[in-house]
Amino acid sequence: MAIFRFPGAFDPFNSFRYMQRELDRLFGKGMALAQQIGGGVYPPVNVYNGRDDMIVECEMSGVKREDIDISITGETLVIKGVKKAPTEDEVAYQRCERGSGDFSRTIVLPDRVDADKVDASLVNGLLTVRLPKSEAARPKQISVK
Amino acid sequence: MAKNDNPKVQSGTMPREMGDDTFSPLVDLYETRDGTTVLAAELPGAKSESIDIRVEKGVLSIYADAGSEGPGPAYNTTYAGFSRGKYFRAFAVSDEIDRDRIEASFKDGVLTLTLPRAAAATTRKIEIKSE
Repeated sequence: MAIFRFPGAFDPFNSFRYMQRELDRLFGKGMALAQQIGGGVYPPVNVYNGRDDMIVECEMSGVKREDIDISITGETLVIKGVKKAPTEDEVAYQRCERGSGDFSRTIVLPDRVDADKVDASLVNGLLTVRLPKSEAARPKQISVK
Repeated sequence: MAKNDNPKVQSGTMPREMGDDTFSPLVDLYETRDGTTVLAAELPGAKSESIDIRVEKGVLSIYADAGSEGPGPAYNTTYAGFSRGKYFRAFAVSDEIDRDRIEASFKDGVLTLTLPRAAAATTRKIEIKSE
């Protein structure tokens, strides 16, 4: 996984991501669908690194809380789930951009995690996972004698 | 919605003046067995009170704001896969839709609009009067 490090809010790639979304739209649903589901980049995530904890944000609209499965092994966070949609038998689709099905995303975190203290919340289709760093990974103040 | 009194449908794109932080939400559009059209738009992170849905001159427009605040200046961005912002998309609505009975609900970041078919659009059998 590519990791870009920028201090604070400075983000020179913002307009590139915007352009990518627009290009996906331009090239139609085939390419956009491949990008968004089953293509390895769904769901989109943001990773923030703080002093004592890390925050992983994840866009997953239309996914129910009970359908999300989050696990941590060492520095690796895995978010799995299933996104359900009405099938072609039930309804007649005229436009289908959102995609559905199983998804899985593996995120390598910048530091080790205290796995017992991780909490996750899902609000309005935005999953926020707060991962406190393990004691060994936290910065230690050393006083000069 | 700021200064967008007459949104025009330009093959689904958003007005240029809406700026860099406005995204066009992904949309599913399907018809159920009873003829009702359902529009499901993904608005992850949008606050339900910020959602603005309008039907004006046959154009249905959806606007929502997901805010721009991240976790704050104490955090560095390690990896950025999406950015927060606003959502806007407009659709042309035909006369077959009963515009007064459009209903909306917002759950799990998905805005669902049900667009019932207008009574005039349902099939009417016309009897031939015998002379």
